[in-house]
Amino acid sequence: MIAIVPSATLLGVEGAPVAVEVHVSKGLPGFTIVGLPDASCRESRDRVRAALLSSGLAWPLKRVTVNLAPSSVRKAGGGLDLPIAVGLLVASEELTAEAVAGCAFVGELGLDGSIRRVPGIVPLVAALTARVVVVPPDCFAEASVVGGHKVRVAGTLTELLAALRGSGPWPGPPDPPAPRPAPVAGLPDLADVRGQAVGRVAVEVAAAGGHHLLFSGPPGAGKTMLASRLPGLLPPLEGDDALTATRVHSAAAVTLPPGGLVVRPPFRAPHHGASAVALIGGGTGTMRPGEISLSHGGVLFLDEMCEFPSAVLDALRQPLEEGVVRVCRARATVTFPARFLLVGATNPCPCGEGGAGTACRCPPAARQRYNRRLSGPLLDRFDLRVVVSRPDAAAVLGGPPGEGSQAVAARVLAARALARERGARCNAELPAAALDALVPLAPEAARVLEHRLRAGLLSARGVHRIRRVARTIADLGGHAGPVAEEHVCLALSLRAELAPAEAAA
Amino acid sequence: MTPGGPGGRSGQGGTGEEAWAAALAGLPAMGPARLRALLATWAPAEAWAKVVGGAGCSRPEVARACRPDPAGVAAYWRAAARRVSVADGWEALGRAGVSVTVAGGPGYPDALRLDPEPPAVLFSRGDLGVIAGRRVAIVGTRRCTRYGRDVAHELGRDLAAGGVRVISGLALGIDGAAHRGALASNGAPPIGVVGSGLDVVYPPGHRDLWESVAGAGVLLSEAPLGARPEPWRFPVRNRVIAALAELVVVVESAEKGGSRHTVEAAMARDVQVMAVPGSVRSPVSAYPNGLLADGCHPVRDALDVLVGLGLSSAPAPPAEARPVPGPEETPVLDAIGWEPATFDDVCGRSGCSPGQVGVALARLQAGGWVAERAGWWERAR
Repeated sequence: MIAIVPSATLLGVEGAPVAVEVHVSKGLPGFTIVGLPDASCRESRDRVRAALLSSGLAWPLKRVTVNLAPSSVRKAGGGLDLPIAVGLLVASEELTAEAVAGCAFVGELGLDGSIRRVPGIVPLVAALTARVVVVPPDCFAEASVVGGHKVRVAGTLTELLAALRGSGPWPGPPDPPAPRPAPVAGLPDLADVRGQAVGRVAVEVAAAGGHHLLFSGPPGAGKTMLASRLPGLLPPLEGDDALTATRVHSAAAVTLPPGGLVVRPPFRAPHHGASAVALIGGGTGTMRPGEISLSHGGVLFLDEMCEFPSAVLDALRQPLEEGVVRVCRARATVTFPARFLLVGATNPCPCGEGGAGTACRCPPAARQRYNRRLSGPLLDRFDLRVVVSRPDAAAVLGGPPGEGSQAVAARVLAARALARERGARCNAELPAAALDALVPLAPEAARVLEHRLRAGLLSARGVHRIRRVARTIADLGGHAGPVAEEHVCLALSLRAELAPAEAAA
Repeated sequence: MTPGGPGGRSGQGGTGEEAWAAALAGLPAMGPARLRALLATWAPAEAWAKVVGGAGCSRPEVARACRPDPAGVAAYWRAAARRVSVADGWEALGRAGVSVTVAGGPGYPDALRLDPEPPAVLFSRGDLGVIAGRRVAIVGTRRCTRYGRDVAHELGRDLAAGGVRVISGLALGIDGAAHRGALASNGAPPIGVVGSGLDVVYPPGHRDLWESVAGAGVLLSEAPLGARPEPWRFPVRNRVIAALAELVVVVESAEKGGSRHTVEAAMARDVQVMAVPGSVRSPVSAYPNGLLADGCHPVRDALDVLVGLGLSSAPAPPAEARPVPGPEETPVLDAIGWEPATFDDVCGRSGCSPGQVGVALARLQAGGWVAERAGWWERAR
């Protein structure tokens, strides 16, 4: 007797459909799983056996062969436990084939017959074409995000069997958790930042235009404080972006919000001890998305950027350019989504006091070594490079509170809408060829850029970047038409040359 | 073969003694004072013979310079000298294009003849004759501000254009800026005095500057070929700078900087010291400001230095060619002041919005009023 049950396995952040074929025949009793199962998958045999026995079901004393088709794709994880058990029940005629027709199953079995959650429910369910999908109870919200399937849940094998046989009801979905206060309220507010006029402008422009931002300044200047305000300024994720972010978070087993869908732009701040694989993604066995994919649609904040190994930082260059990262290993090549806003913070030198050149206690060679960690090409990806200094004492203690996140977020939303009208996700992604048409320059603005170009202070690519930032600044100010001198000058001022070659003395 | 011979390149009309003097200078544990004592006691060839024979400290004048253990030093020299070939050393000097001049010998600079601690042996590249002329030392810190760098460059340029030889140490910061200024003017030849051997370029990034100074003027050192830039060599080098100079200008230096050695050596020789005033808040202007408070004459431009030298002729100062800042730019220029400030600082101090400040800074920068370095804004002049 043979049974075929549809399920899916995880490849990076995408699901791959898997047909679980169970064949039961006469012969020496045995249980074999074929079709490239990994170690956790091969252990299914023991979990399935114990779960069946705990649920009061008989273990067939026959020869059982399980094939996971297609046999060329490597299968990982315990999510195939449930389809194997169901297939075995059908093949040993505990269940009729009609009872499971059109049903797909995902879930790991406990030895007591309970059905447990597995990572990556969102991409797994998305890969399934069956009409009904049975998942563990606490995966209901995640599985429902995909849409297009009838999502059923079952807490134990016994419950599932009763429902499939028609002798009991399908268990209802678990109660949604109590609605929490609106997520924005929990985010740090820009109103807490006193003083820092330039830092505030920089985060606003970064949020509105999707421009990568680098802060440089002494400890206590408020770099981290400003960066952590960014998620509150970004508009909520929509459509594909939200689904992609949810898929990545689900595959990486990061807790999803109560609704199941990742709507708030994520904010990831890995420590500088992170390895290249942790940042980019990969790993042996299952390919896990890295921090850059987890921050897809949101902000990747690298604090103490010069403390990261330069090899790790340079690995960011390709994803920054393309919005995806292709991780190639001998076993598989996986493409992860990685469109994120990069925000870096660094001290100007190891002692932290440098910058102006006089208060610093570091030898010049040490400063050069420190700054060389940020390679020129990586530094060039930052459209906004801002030097912040410690805020004035008066502003910190008694100054008026700054503008709140809500007002700024409204301007950001309006600016992003303008960018979409131009056919780009944000101004940072405006194609260079279209800049002349989309970002015309007022005569005075063109003169400023021309002077910089002639003086060798700006490269041709630098001009493109300045024009995009100037467009964002103009959009935020509600300025339609050609970009004015004011916008270009502010864009130039927000792009400090941070790693000067030791100027010829 | 007899080591060394009368070589045509040893100073002007050398006597042949230079080969032994150079070999003596190259011995380990041989500082300027010991070398001076040796060469004051014996002629170079005789001194070398004494050292090889282990009798280097046999005379009380030399033994005094080798305290506390003259016998140990003599034995050390003897062991080292036996491994050295004077002829090979002399050939190496020739290959490196380095001339050797001995105190009291022909070609030795007049400026050093009457010095209380003259270098006993002087290694040089370039034309030693350029030392005869009016000379001013420009000294200061390696970690200078843009202000200091610009002032040093302008002083070097204008003094050289006025026919004054600029002496400096070829270090990073003020020293290098002064010499680059002097070279830029194509005026009087520069004089560089370095602490390491003439074949050990330090700092390595200044190789081009070494070559230019040696090509246009002269490069001097008291240290033998191959001498590393050990810390003790710099105060010793500063003494030579002070001895050569008729006037020392301190541009920028921290309270405890190396320029103090130069100034103290200059004061001990009755060489006039002048200082460039700076911000009272800048740590690297602390020392020159202190000198001013003690009664030194201030240097505002090259003319002040020329007056200090007693020279009346001065190049006409370049006319102000920069556009006058407009009403929007003036508050921003005032907010920058003479110390480096971030964009944020300027916005805060001027009370203008970042947009207005951005426009003002771009205009001021285009006009040459301000300059930016690594995100810090400073007034250019």
